[in-house]
Amino acid sequence: MNPVTGLRRFVDRNGLAISAYLLVAVTLWMLAMIILPQLFMLDFSFRYNLPPAKIGGPEDVWTISNYAFLVFGSSGNPDAYNWIDLSVFFRTILAAVFVTVFDVALCYPIAFYLAQVAKGGFGRLMVLCLIIPFWVNEILRAFAFRILFGATGVINTVGMSLGLLDQPIDFVGADIALYAGLGYAYILLMIFPIYNAIESLDHNQIEAARDLGAPWWRIHYRVVIPHAKPGIASGCTMVFMLSAGALAAPQILGGPSSLWFTQIIYQWFNTGGNWPRGSAYAMILLIACIAFVMLMMRVFKVGLGEIGR
Amino acid sequence: MSSQNILRAFVGLYILAFFSYLFGPLILMSLTAFNSFSFPRVSPWECFTTEWFVKLSHDEKLMHGLLNSLIIGAGVMALAVPIGMAGAIMLTQVRRSIRPIYYTIVISPILVPGVVLGISTLIFWDRLGTMFNASYNSVFYDGLFLTIIGQATFISAYCMLVFIARLQRFDPAQEEAALDLGATHAQTFRKILLPFMRPAIFSAAVLAFLASFENYNTTVFTIISESTLTTVLASKVRYGIDPSISALAVIIVSLTLIGAIAYEFAKQREAKEARARQIEGLGLPASPPTRAKLAEAIGNPAMILSFFVAVAGLTFVYLMATVDTAACKQDLREQKRIEQQRRQDMQLFPLQMPSGKAPSKPAEPTAPQAPAGETGNKQYQGIFEPGNLKKQVGPEGEAAPAKPTPGKQYEGIFDPGNLKNQVGPEGGTNQN
Repeated sequence: MNPVTGLRRFVDRNGLAISAYLLVAVTLWMLAMIILPQLFMLDFSFRYNLPPAKIGGPEDVWTISNYAFLVFGSSGNPDAYNWIDLSVFFRTILAAVFVTVFDVALCYPIAFYLAQVAKGGFGRLMVLCLIIPFWVNEILRAFAFRILFGATGVINTVGMSLGLLDQPIDFVGADIALYAGLGYAYILLMIFPIYNAIESLDHNQIEAARDLGAPWWRIHYRVVIPHAKPGIASGCTMVFMLSAGALAAPQILGGPSSLWFTQIIYQWFNTGGNWPRGSAYAMILLIACIAFVMLMMRVFKVGLGEIGR
Repeated sequence: MSSQNILRAFVGLYILAFFSYLFGPLILMSLTAFNSFSFPRVSPWECFTTEWFVKLSHDEKLMHGLLNSLIIGAGVMALAVPIGMAGAIMLTQVRRSIRPIYYTIVISPILVPGVVLGISTLIFWDRLGTMFNASYNSVFYDGLFLTIIGQATFISAYCMLVFIARLQRFDPAQEEAALDLGATHAQTFRKILLPFMRPAIFSAAVLAFLASFENYNTTVFTIISESTLTTVLASKVRYGIDPSISALAVIIVSLTLIGAIAYEFAKQREAKEARARQIEGLGLPASPPTRAKLAEAIGNPAMILSFFVAVAGLTFVYLMATVDTAACKQDLREQKRIEQQRRQDMQLFPLQMPSGKAPSKPAEPTAPQAPAGETGNKQYQGIFEPGNLKKQVGPEGEAAPAKPTPGKQYEGIFDPGNLKNQVGPEGGTNQN
């Protein structure tokens, strides 16, 4: 079927006005909002940082210097590699993986309980209670953790007044506040996919496994978790992507010596004033996220359709 | 059976711990909004106060940001809901062979970090602006417009998911029937599909507004020189905190709670009506016995939440009515003054003055009783005016860390190092 007959059938099916609405809306969205901006960013990340007057001029040629900067640093760099930025990048990825694992471990029991054990009113109350913190602003959530973990925060003052602590623990410097805050922020996005997956599991399967003498951990390992795989993959993808791409929480809860990769990108765009380099860094972040999604699809053997759900 | 009980207790404890993690930080943050201490802290608890709410309402930057956030939210709603619906309808009509590619493209904004979306939107419009030689106050460089576009990119995908879920239950035979009966395509769309989609349109609109309202990562790049509520909040939290932010949090948490309760009640009424219709159809007695009704009310999540909200509200009203914040502060000030005096005297006359005895002489001139009409803050600063201190403490006072303004000096005296530790290297000290 060639495009013209396809289009004619589309118009026949929807009528002219509705067809126009559908085509214009979807085309605008796909081209002007999704594809072209990404391509422009990709192109821009291969450009030199020029003043507006010189853009499009003879000096406006492609270069890989922005990507090289991430790996090797500036030409005056005494080290062979740009360890400052590279270590921030790898630490961000590692920390995001850590937050993801923490969230899976934390949320799986709750999701299982909600889907298979809790009944009626109590279950609904739990769901409602899960949603409420999620609609509180991201920045306010980080702020709440700062009140909790700060040098004069609740934990330190209470601990000291009870005599449990001799001196305040530097939760912020040790990044504990950041991990707790990030893990907190994305709990809901981990619980609901897992919950949806486990809910569709027939309870009789669990009963059958139990009747056949399987201990509880084997029931989870052999029956529940295989069934919940798409949900776990979906939750992991969302949580990893959001924590690796988080900006507010690291700005508010991050320790003085530790940067998040997004903060470096932000600096290139703001104080650094080097947009092409910032775009290059953003591309690296994007590629890392895509790689993680692919990895999840491979490890859990699920399709993109199941992850996006 | 006992191992079963142990397991059950363990599960109960886990759920309890989980929900304390979920709500503990929010509750503590809300409490700090009512503490008169000028830094958001629960302890030391000074006086119950509502002054931070007043201060919040006078914060013009925040109000400007709030207005922008509302405008952007409305814009995103107007853009993302139609786009999302078109995307969902399109998904049902594209050819099977290109459906995976189409789906990957339209779902990708959800899986791309918000930072990247913001940057790509910013660059795209900036380059378009350069191509058209647009001036800097044209639409290409307008923070609000760019933010609406940037946010709508991924919020449309959220909306699309809502519509897809609804469309899966749509019976296309209805549309065909309408067309067979002579309706035009536009009529079918308006009279069949739209009414069917109405609940989804409503929830997509709410979702779009909320997602836009709380977005930070995309907004911070696309907003350029403007500001939204979240960007104002973020800079406030980073560069100097006072409890008026907690006051804002209290308002947002309460609104969320009320919204959740209203939603739950609405859902229950729907369910009850559906059940009543069913019962009528079966010819059974319509109203259940009273005891069953009571049990239902007690186990009802909305009831439980409303109960907690009511308790919190009543406590608040009770405190408002009974606690005299001004008097409490006055007491506190007096206590601090005495304590301060004692310390100073110990420094001044370590030999003559054994600890614990407050001297009478030097105290009098520096701390006059405040005239009744004067506001608390000013009076306070008067007491600890740098001049006064220097006179009293002499060289020791000058050796103490530099205290540029009376406002900051206040913090320094009672909590040395406190602020600096908190705010860290970002350097901002408290901006009262």
